[in-house]
Amino acid sequence: MTTTSPSPTILSSREIGLHLGGLVLFLGLLALWYWLSTGARAVPTLIEMLKDDDPSTRIVAAEQLGLVGPAANAAVPALLAQATRDGSQHANTTAAAALKSIDLTAARLVMTHFIPRLQDPDVQQRRTACAVLGSLGPVAKPAVVSLLAVTNDPDELVRRNALTSLASIGIPSAPIAASLIAGLRAPSGLVRHSAVAQFAFTTPVPQEAEEPLTSLLADQDKAIAGLARSALDKPRPDDTSHIQSLSLMIKQSTARDYALHQLAQLGSSASEALPAIVPMLQDEQPLVRYLAAEALGAMGPAAKEALSALREQQQDTDPVVRASVGEALKAIETGMTMPTEPASKGLRQ
Amino acid sequence: MTMPPCTTTSRLRLLTRVGVWGSAVGGLVLPWAIMLAVDHFVRHLPLDQTWQSFRLHLFAPGYNLFLVGILTAVPFIVSALVILLHLGTAPVQAPLIARRRTLGLACASFGMLAVAGWTHVDVLIHPDAQGALAYFFLPIVLLLLLPVGYAVGRLAARVLVPPPTL
Repeated sequence: MTTTSPSPTILSSREIGLHLGGLVLFLGLLALWYWLSTGARAVPTLIEMLKDDDPSTRIVAAEQLGLVGPAANAAVPALLAQATRDGSQHANTTAAAALKSIDLTAARLVMTHFIPRLQDPDVQQRRTACAVLGSLGPVAKPAVVSLLAVTNDPDELVRRNALTSLASIGIPSAPIAASLIAGLRAPSGLVRHSAVAQFAFTTPVPQEAEEPLTSLLADQDKAIAGLARSALDKPRPDDTSHIQSLSLMIKQSTARDYALHQLAQLGSSASEALPAIVPMLQDEQPLVRYLAAEALGAMGPAAKEALSALREQQQDTDPVVRASVGEALKAIETGMTMPTEPASKGLRQ
Repeated sequence: MTMPPCTTTSRLRLLTRVGVWGSAVGGLVLPWAIMLAVDHFVRHLPLDQTWQSFRLHLFAPGYNLFLVGILTAVPFIVSALVILLHLGTAPVQAPLIARRRTLGLACASFGMLAVAGWTHVDVLIHPDAQGALAYFFLPIVLLLLLPVGYAVGRLAARVLVPPPTL
């Protein structure tokens, strides 16, 4: 529609205003589309997607539900089914990883389902069990003992998957570091590669790992030598500036899990980060509260200033967090410094 | 042949409207269209599979094709505003000004379109770990290209659209 009186400009001021309003409406509609398609609003659609015949749809849906966090609680039964019964290993691992962010108890159910499968006669079952346990990350801490046992599995891929999973779990750090150090000396190139990659990218490098890593600099496989170089170049666990960086990362929601998980593997060295960790016991995400409790427990007596904050959390709504808080209190009060033991001691265990 | 002033004005009016909405909507749809086209024509995936994959990854973590579309659309929406406020307010009585502004804005828009299109095609055809960084730098490059393209267009207009001789 045009104005009746001729405008002195190409578009009249009224028409310019209408177009501006149209552009604002256009942006508003885009924002509405984004808002409706993300966060808790998208959960019903994502649950439907978990029932799709195409595994890639189920995988993407599980990943998105994991990002939603505890607000995606309605998806727990479907995710549990996908984590334990889906025929696709990738669908299993993504569902398990999502549960870790949504419901710690459900994640522990997945763990309980897969621990016996680590001893399954079917090699594929053992490989899948390792992969799923690893995708649960630090929540699968009680599976560490069973995973350590399969680091001697006759199948090379099971051994590799077991090391990768142990590194993803990360806590308690001493026995895990010991198994990774043993992996650095493995005759299998695949296993050595997996072990060195964990030190390069995932787990802190303990002093005990420096000698075998230095030996790997001369490995025939250039990729392994390169990864060993990266691992040796990483900051050491007692590096003050590294701990300060992790403390700062705790304040960023996107890096919080990673930073707390790293600190939980550093033992008493992480005590400098105590002021940043303690408030995380009150976080709304159970995974964050769990990781905070684990990090404090790993510090042992060095975290005695956090005792009152931990005691307040003894009645946490999440049973997995409650158990972790109890363990942390015990570790601090009795002076047990579980993860600060040298890796070699863990090896002997 | 000289067109009557009312015809010129109505054409410029239509061009302004098409420019505003073409720039805003086109900037958003361009990366999505390129993604679908690359999957279909380069990777030879069936159209329905291409569409399903696109829909699935629109808000998926690690892909977020919606965000990619928005990031590319931002400079084009700025361009739409410039078209609306600069060309839309050109005086009807001085068609030479409107024509020169049209050429400047067209040069800027097509330059932005070419750079955005080339970047998206290149990222998709030669993917690597740092490829996604291009999506974050592209809006900045396109915003810088807007005044540069406009200046080039205006310089060209001085040659191509000379003032009428009396």
